[in-house]
Amino acid sequence: MKAFLYLTFGILLFGLSGCIEIIDDLTLNEDGSGTFKYNVNLSASKAKVNSILALDSLDGRKVPSLDEIKNRIESISQKLREQPGITHIEVDSNFDDYIIKISCDFNSLNALQAAIKNIVKEETKKTELNELDHQWVSFQNGVMKRSIPQITIRQSKQINQSDQELLKNGTYTSITRFNKEIDSFENQNAMLSKNKKAILLRTDPYTLTHNPNLLDNTITLSSGR
Amino acid sequence: MKATLSFLFLFISTLLFSQRSEELVPEEAISVFSVIDIDLLERISLDDLANYEFMEEVQQEIFDGSTAGKTIKDSGIDFEQKLNVFNGKGYNYTINGFSFGIADKDALFETFDDFTPVESNYDGVEMYVSYFNRIVFKGESGVLFRVTPLLSVVNNMTDSIWYARGNSYPWQETELQELFDELESAQEDTYEITDDMETSENTNNPVDSELPYASENPDQKNYYELRDSVDLALQNEYLDIFCTNLFVQNNNLYKKDERFREQLTHSAAGVFYSDNARSLAKDSEFSALKLMYPGLVVEVQELFSDNLMLGDLQLADGEVTFNVDLKYGNELGSIYKELSGAKFDKNILKYIHKDNSAYFMYNVNMREAYEQTFNILQPLMEASDNQNVIFDLLMLELFNEFMNKDALFDTYNGSMFGTYSDVKKIKTKKIVFDYDEETFEYLEKEVEAEEDMPVFTLGFSTDRTDIAELIMKRSTKISSRIKKEDDYWIYENAVLGAAPLYMIAKNDLFILTNDPDLAKNNSDGYGANALGKSSVKKAKKSGALYGYADLGKAVESLPRELFTERDNEILDVVRGKEGSLEIVSSETTSEKTSFKLSYRFDGAMKENDTYILDLINSMYVIFK
Repeated sequence: MKAFLYLTFGILLFGLSGCIEIIDDLTLNEDGSGTFKYNVNLSASKAKVNSILALDSLDGRKVPSLDEIKNRIESISQKLREQPGITHIEVDSNFDDYIIKISCDFNSLNALQAAIKNIVKEETKKTELNELDHQWVSFQNGVMKRSIPQITIRQSKQINQSDQELLKNGTYTSITRFNKEIDSFENQNAMLSKNKKAILLRTDPYTLTHNPNLLDNTITLSSGR
Repeated sequence: MKATLSFLFLFISTLLFSQRSEELVPEEAISVFSVIDIDLLERISLDDLANYEFMEEVQQEIFDGSTAGKTIKDSGIDFEQKLNVFNGKGYNYTINGFSFGIADKDALFETFDDFTPVESNYDGVEMYVSYFNRIVFKGESGVLFRVTPLLSVVNNMTDSIWYARGNSYPWQETELQELFDELESAQEDTYEITDDMETSENTNNPVDSELPYASENPDQKNYYELRDSVDLALQNEYLDIFCTNLFVQNNNLYKKDERFREQLTHSAAGVFYSDNARSLAKDSEFSALKLMYPGLVVEVQELFSDNLMLGDLQLADGEVTFNVDLKYGNELGSIYKELSGAKFDKNILKYIHKDNSAYFMYNVNMREAYEQTFNILQPLMEASDNQNVIFDLLMLELFNEFMNKDALFDTYNGSMFGTYSDVKKIKTKKIVFDYDEETFEYLEKEVEAEEDMPVFTLGFSTDRTDIAELIMKRSTKISSRIKKEDDYWIYENAVLGAAPLYMIAKNDLFILTNDPDLAKNNSDGYGANALGKSSVKKAKKSGALYGYADLGKAVESLPRELFTERDNEILDVVRGKEGSLEIVSSETTSEKTSFKLSYRFDGAMKENDTYILDLINSMYVIFK
């Protein structure tokens, strides 16, 4: 998730922060494997996105071309394929509505986190990023602890003030799914699905950048079903 | 008596032979803005002055603290003389700077305190230098300038020397990749500057974080070092050419061009001079064409000879007026004259809403202009021996013979209009994720949405709406996104991939707009809500062009991201201003077309000093 968020906020730095919808969707199986999905939806700002993409640069920063964005996404998915413990990588890019969906299976949460860490390192060409050492998800004895990666917060601080205001119009949704029912959870803002197997937390990107602990949650699974 | 005569002789000599600031405008200057009523500027603080882009070449002086709290009056400049801001181009170098009168040299050097004296090789000339800028005093005037070799000249010479020394291609693939990576990394990195960091701005001479690496043999220059050496050597060579020409041979623009001299006699706050013919001749793309079509280019150059823009700036309470004459030679003038001979199309006026914050009308006769252009170009090309030119001529002649000119010029005769009516909410569609409460699984769903979008209308007169209808009718079969509605066609997602474009073919006009209100409710015009009588009268009286903009409404609402950096540079000149801007053209003759640009605002002329600087800056930004 770190890499995707890192890149998402990278895109936001180019001023595409009008109305953005981000979903991170983590499904954890009993054996510790699972599926991770990351969706970025800019369809509500496609006029703005198109107008920016038509420019060479904006506010002194180079605007990537559509081909460069496509290549970057392809490069990330290729790098994901090379990561140990990561399989079934799927990328669905809709450049008419600007919706990008990436999903992959992982054989353990450690494999997922290591893969994302490696990709961020490669993409940013930085070997030392302390924020990458932050464990943002763990599962032990039926208890999952989730948070937002520190790298995301670091990156989001680079967005200028006026664009940060625009982030208030967006949404950030974090979903965690299990095969078992959820017994309890600590974050008071979280919503439990009717089947009790999924938990959803939603905020806007602006609030999230100013309160990185907002989506932190400790979820305890029931010992039964 | 003897003393009186001596005094009189001295007085006359002073008048006749004293150096005036305009005589230090180099002959290479292509654009010059001369502030005649320089008293207007005396209250301007030097720090405010530094904020203008035209001062960018000398900003290092003003950002170093030596000017804090000082006005232009404190800087030792003589307010009896004109201030001339210029930029221009030789074949191998560019020049820019400004010339001025000197009242107090000591005060001047308190401002420009980074300048140090250097030995002058030119009689009667004092020279001071700071980085790449130079100040020269001659008589009672001075000129601050910079001579910069063209990058293409520096690169060509460096390459020649580099290869002549037996070196291989200097840009190895790995080096290129590293360079791109560094650039990309520099673009991605942003640094937070805190108060405790010592910062200094030196935009002209940025210090590279890494110096060019030394080559294996310390006696052998690497490519970067060689290029720096070439740059420096050329700079010295061109500087000497420039200085000899201006200070020894006294070849200045004032002496060379009587049109510039005449311009300076005008009773105006400031005057503008821009020699478009020389600008074209020294354009690098035009130089490249010269190599391919030498004969033809000379002919075309002659066609553009005498192409000149002259302007007078007048200041009054509540109004700043800029009168501009666009002058040209006889042949080009004959085309412009035919072009402007169109009858005003009154239909256009119905489609301009009285509340539109900006609009323009352009009224030209394309048919007559085409015929005249053909008549001028044909003999020019016929005289050429170049096979490419003759082939192009043949194509042109065949096109001229076979083309149905009646159909073409009846479809588009040259009259058009455009309007801008602020940023409005436009109906669009967006995708949302629809969640199942049972499982939180989600599916994509298309829903109605709204996006802020600038609303534009563009239309042109046509005697053949049937051709427009034919094109649209066939287009509906080609693309499912184009549909026919009652009175108009709609092209879905045509504007920025999000909003529909409406097309109307009515009343001898073909109109394109993203304004649904115009297409759906006002396809016959705005009726009582159309442009008011006084505006209509002005537009009708104008020649080929009439334009109006409510600056406060129109420019402020334009989103930056719709425009290129260059467009934004030009828009920035008028951003933040209130009032209205109007441009009116006079009837075009074979010698000139006159334009009057008026900026009106509420209240008295309290800040006319800044207006004149705004205009200098506008000219600098537009013509740089």
